[in-house]
Amino acid sequence: MKRDKMGKFFYPSSIVVFGVTDTPGNLAKNIILNCQAGGFEGDIYPVGRRPGSVSGYEIITDPESLPMDIDLAVILIPAEVIPETMKICGRKGIRHVVISSGGFRELNGKNNQVESDVQSVARQYGIRFIGPNCIGVICTNSGLCTPFNPLQAQSFKSGDISLICQSGGIATQAAHTFSEEHVGFSKIISAGNKLDINEIDLLQYLMNDDDTKQVHMYLESIEDGRALVKLAKKSKKPIVLLKSNVGETASSIAKSHTAALSNNDRIVDGALRQAGIIRVDDLYDMTVCAKALSLPPLKGNRLVAISPSGGFAVMLGDLCEKYGFECPELPRQLLDTIESQRRGGVIRMTNPMDFGDVYDMEVMINTFESCLRLDDIDGIVISYMYNEEMLKAFSGNIGSPERLLEVIKNICERTGKPIALSFHTERSYIEEFKKIGTFPVFNDPAESVRALQMLRNYWRVKDSDNHF
Amino acid sequence: MDLISKALKRGAECLSEYESKQLLAKYEITITKETVVTTEEEAVTAALKMGYPVVFKASGEEFAHKTELDLIELNIKDETDARAAFQRLVSRPEISVREILVQQMIKGDRELVVGLTRDPQFGPCVMFGLGGIFTEILEDVTFRMAPLSRWDAMDMMNDIRASKMLGAFRGKPSVDREALANILIAVGRIGMEADEVKEIDINPLKILNGKPIVVDALVVLEQGSVMK
Repeated sequence: MKRDKMGKFFYPSSIVVFGVTDTPGNLAKNIILNCQAGGFEGDIYPVGRRPGSVSGYEIITDPESLPMDIDLAVILIPAEVIPETMKICGRKGIRHVVISSGGFRELNGKNNQVESDVQSVARQYGIRFIGPNCIGVICTNSGLCTPFNPLQAQSFKSGDISLICQSGGIATQAAHTFSEEHVGFSKIISAGNKLDINEIDLLQYLMNDDDTKQVHMYLESIEDGRALVKLAKKSKKPIVLLKSNVGETASSIAKSHTAALSNNDRIVDGALRQAGIIRVDDLYDMTVCAKALSLPPLKGNRLVAISPSGGFAVMLGDLCEKYGFECPELPRQLLDTIESQRRGGVIRMTNPMDFGDVYDMEVMINTFESCLRLDDIDGIVISYMYNEEMLKAFSGNIGSPERLLEVIKNICERTGKPIALSFHTERSYIEEFKKIGTFPVFNDPAESVRALQMLRNYWRVKDSDNHF
Repeated sequence: MDLISKALKRGAECLSEYESKQLLAKYEITITKETVVTTEEEAVTAALKMGYPVVFKASGEEFAHKTELDLIELNIKDETDARAAFQRLVSRPEISVREILVQQMIKGDRELVVGLTRDPQFGPCVMFGLGGIFTEILEDVTFRMAPLSRWDAMDMMNDIRASKMLGAFRGKPSVDREALANILIAVGRIGMEADEVKEIDINPLKILNGKPIVVDALVVLEQGSVMK
């Protein structure tokens, strides 16, 4: 799909940036610096009115001297001169443009002369464009990073989640939040005023993009709800939506922000549920949801809650109830087997299961796997203890953090059922586990059960022939 | 000519209760037994034929909100009641009532609401929730985009806070969810098929022996909107 026409927005082999000067306050210059930091290896052509050089590139003052057929143009110049620049792009064979500049409908209303001029030039040359009033595209696969605010693009974590954001500020923050939570992303697109390419076009592209496994969206307005629902129903990839602008206060702000229209939030809620789109409340929740959706399907409400701490086991049980799960009784024979493998045998096994003093890898694998193999169990939630010193004292061996995640991941793969994993330990250990990135680790027990709720809600709709 | 085009032709902003329910009945939704009369004698005859107790309501599209106007006579038990009720409705000095709707009295044990609205972004959408006079206070409602699949309809019933109310309840049987789903799907179909229908309110949809039955309904037409 990289050869798809839209693909040039993400995997261009050459870009031109309009509006570059070598003065300190120049914003367009940051686009070039960000691309360099992101590791973009294609050709870069800075264009500006005054000669100079930026990060080793000579500023081109005569755009007519640009080579033909550059893949992508990024434009950050005053709105009123954009139609003229678009014409130059058209003549030079450029068919993909990011218009970063503001000063359109968000500033002076819907009937905007510059907007219609931009649209007619685009039509004339067959140009597709993202924006205006946006920061464009971040693609960790190609290194392209068109935002004009200075970013630490080298610190972005690469992965298989892609995001469509109406707001540039949210797009930037999403890049940070996802990276900090060690949830890698493939593409982040700031769609701005959506004058040409809108969320539907982007969703369609990402649904077919090989580098994308989940599509996340931040929207302030949904212009064609029916089209969104229709498309989402066909999607084989999970779609997650953060929809703001739901209250009356937000609505008046949105008017001046991206000229957003407010939807009736209850209708949005119902329609998203029909479409199997998971709705989240904030960016952090998006990362939780992204982790949840990377687990195998959860096709029911029946969980085994396990912790080596009785307290956490009880708490997990409460959380399961709160989020609409049950913890069915487990077969006596299975519990007897587990009990026989322990040292002290002072705790009687139930569900929620106080795993007690079992710190043996073999026993752990057997227990998790045999629970997941039960027909009336749909998944497991575990709050594990991790503390090297304590483990030594117990003379147990659960292996290295890497090994532990590997083992749990393999159990999920073998059984096709999810395990939601969190640890009760020092913060630094939790970070260490999250950083490994081979298997999702949640920040605490409540979050792990909430994550399973998201996963279940997704599969409930996707698997709706199979009522649960 | 069907009742919608007739109403549009005479410039009506909505259908009368009787017409609204006739439209619903065409979509196989169960409505109360009812008939429109103009004289006291017709009213008494109709009531007898239907079997007491009955309800009399002022009939006509101008009475979209009859409770507020005090134009409903409930629980009429015999002929004496019927004649008195008829007179009360037709002799109001400030309101001219020309027709009376004689209607089967449905006690029911639960009140639900079903509706249709048109959203600028999502098109026709079906509403379901807790009905009766507290609908606007409790706001326990949920929406789905039309057309509705059976799964969508069933999902709506689980989606309201008071969903337990649909189960067996104080000696009353649980609500026939299949029948309720049929109504939700049918209302969605009206939204898809009849562009002239702007909004529908079915409130209350009462539950009688587990079966849903439309007791009051209002169909708002595209050419005008009723003040809510």
